[in-house]
Amino acid sequence: MSEKGELDLTGAKQNTGMWLVKVPKYLSQQWNKASGRGEVGKLRITKNQGRTEVSFTLNEELANISDIGGKPTSVSAPREHPFILQSVGGQTLTVFTESSVDKLALEGIVVQRAECRPAASENYMKLKRLQIEESSKPVRLSQQLDKAVTTNYKPVANHQYNIEYEKKKKEDGKRARADKQQVLDMLFSAFEKHQYYNIKDLVDITKQPVVASMVINSKLSFSMSSTHHPKLSSFPIWVPVENFCRELPTASISI
Amino acid sequence: MTSLATSSQMVTEYVVRVPKNTSKRYNIMAFNAADKVNFSTWHQARLERDLSNRRLYQEDELPEAGAGSEFHRRLRDEARRRKLGIVLREFRAEEQPWLLRVNGRTGRRYRGVKKGGVTENASYYVFTQCPDGAFEAFPVLNWFNFTPLARHRTLTAEEAEEEWERRNKVLNHFSIMQQRRLRDQDEEEEEERGGRKVPKKGGDRDRGHGDRGDLRIHDLEDDLELSSEDSEGSEAEGDKVPKRKAPPGGRKKRKKKKGSEDEAFEDSDDGDFEGQEVDYMSDASSSSQEEEEAKAKVTKEDDGPKGIDEASESSEESEEEKPPEEKEEEEEEKKAPTPQEKKKKKDSSDESQTSEESDIDSETSSALFMAKKKTPPKRRGSTSSSRGGSRPGTPTELGGPSSTSNAPSGTSTSSTSTSSTLRAAAGKLEQGRRPPDPPSAKRPRVDPAPPSGKSTPSSGEVQLTEEAVRRYLGRKPMTTKDLLKKFQTKRTGLSSDATVNVLAQILKRLNPERKVIGDKMHFFLKE
Repeated sequence: MSEKGELDLTGAKQNTGMWLVKVPKYLSQQWNKASGRGEVGKLRITKNQGRTEVSFTLNEELANISDIGGKPTSVSAPREHPFILQSVGGQTLTVFTESSVDKLALEGIVVQRAECRPAASENYMKLKRLQIEESSKPVRLSQQLDKAVTTNYKPVANHQYNIEYEKKKKEDGKRARADKQQVLDMLFSAFEKHQYYNIKDLVDITKQPVVASMVINSKLSFSMSSTHHPKLSSFPIWVPVENFCRELPTASISI
Repeated sequence: MTSLATSSQMVTEYVVRVPKNTSKRYNIMAFNAADKVNFSTWHQARLERDLSNRRLYQEDELPEAGAGSEFHRRLRDEARRRKLGIVLREFRAEEQPWLLRVNGRTGRRYRGVKKGGVTENASYYVFTQCPDGAFEAFPVLNWFNFTPLARHRTLTAEEAEEEWERRNKVLNHFSIMQQRRLRDQDEEEEEERGGRKVPKKGGDRDRGHGDRGDLRIHDLEDDLELSSEDSEGSEAEGDKVPKRKAPPGGRKKRKKKKGSEDEAFEDSDDGDFEGQEVDYMSDASSSSQEEEEAKAKVTKEDDGPKGIDEASESSEESEEEKPPEEKEEEEEEKKAPTPQEKKKKKDSSDESQTSEESDIDSETSSALFMAKKKTPPKRRGSTSSSRGGSRPGTPTELGGPSSTSNAPSGTSTSSTSTSSTLRAAAGKLEQGRRPPDPPSAKRPRVDPAPPSGKSTPSSGEVQLTEEAVRRYLGRKPMTTKDLLKKFQTKRTGLSSDATVNVLAQILKRLNPERKVIGDKMHFFLKE
């Protein structure tokens, strides 16, 4: 059992030769339907006066194409496919595999490249025509409806959400100026959690009118600097509090 | 498999099978033929995902709570992203390129990038021949193009640009990389020994590693030669400064933290310090040392105008800033030279553009000391904001507590006269500077004579008097550097900062006119 990441080089060492074949889509579709041991056809290699010809014949039972792109049709696929052999010159191609347990192995080196072409025949032309028709249809279609759609939004006097919101606001009431020390305590505890606060957030937390918050803040010599925080160049004014001492004497706060 | 033999042809037939339940996923690994990959030389190979891009995909982590955090930061970021329609791509390990290492750590390395569009129009199958003569076909899922990675040291983009500028001057191109390697070795040796080797052409100009965290008060004589080169150097390489603020501090801990200082660095073995310290040898372009000097100078020059030009308000402000900063200087000098160095460099990158205007009075010693405590968010001409910014500036860099005491005191100091503050500052700085002196052997050329010596100029042909300065300025416009050249310390018998002091005061008294000639600020007096 090799460790993760280890590449098994046996295929390369043994120079296991392989062929890389480019196969048309419909053919690979048919191959996927193969049953049993997976036999799909026969490969015939003819050595004819120095030339090699390779041809692939599709099995009978796989030759019926039952659907193209989801639409049911019935066309017969061509059976003869000559292979066009190509050289591997410009690249060194190898095949490596990844197993389901993440084992990596080099299976072999590609010695021959080929392209599988269907022999030109009536069947093939029909097949192609169907494919083209299918692909040239627009993806979106406009359809006319018989009835008007009435199940969507109706006009409403006041949305439920709005009603709730207004009720909530009434309940909360105005923001009364609470006791200074209390407000300060609230602020201190807030600043213990985070260092930077927006003034709006502070207002929310303390429920004080903004002016009062500002005044309190200034008395405590918070530093307000938008240029200070590394990322806040475009944000509204923050109130960063560098250091905090809880033991501020009450005398120093006068509003 | 059947075979037919007719007269001139051999026909063999094979059965083709497409196995249904393979657990293996087949991929193609493609090498360029020119790389001449020879599998027989591969003894051992490792293939792993290249996870070096993971850092790019992580959001920078700001603290969630406590210092440095913000209220609702994450919510706000998300809201902003939604508003702008930014869709973040997550980092998926399966989509990352492969990294193939052959023959261990010293062998070759390849990077495999997925080739797109392979399975769109046609499928690729791999045909292998089985022992029983039948062919088995497996579909190919992905195609990876593997390219070899360079093991030798290469130039980064910035270095390449610099070299491009010098292409007409450099004749021996092989020496470029050689020198770089030599320099690297020397840097390591220097750190160990604490001394310095100078294997470069422009020998005495080499002060690349001088600023090792303390502010060096350069002998201003040497600065004078650079009158024109400094500003161009500092501008041209101002953008390098932010990157290099890490190196001087990081260099100290380099041995421990290799390659982890700068975020964008990969964990490469050979290219660890590519982007760092560049010390050039030639005089023509600015060396790093020139750059540092320029920066030091620029920061000095920059604070000059505050003390002198904008007479009342800014001088008061700068004075007020000085006392708290002096105190802080002493503490922090010993505590954390590195962050200051960083700050200094960071600031000077801001200021490098303005070096021309700020040419007044590098001689002001306040400038020298202020350079150390330069505040990050300083803006030209907006003293108030910098003032407000200076207070928070120091704490965040040095960590809260020390600044509380200083902040209120900053606002409450009464204005004192410039010269006494400067003198006090000078004294304190020199005291503070003496302890860190021993580790850096060659550095301080300034004789540590107390600045009070300025009032007694010993015999010399040229004396630094108001009369002399007036004469010079009356004849023709001069920059501060030129003025300094006239009153060289060897001839007037004064120490360099004393000269600076005196010259600053003289200029203040004279209040000469200013003119910008050729991007430099010149002074002159009308008769």
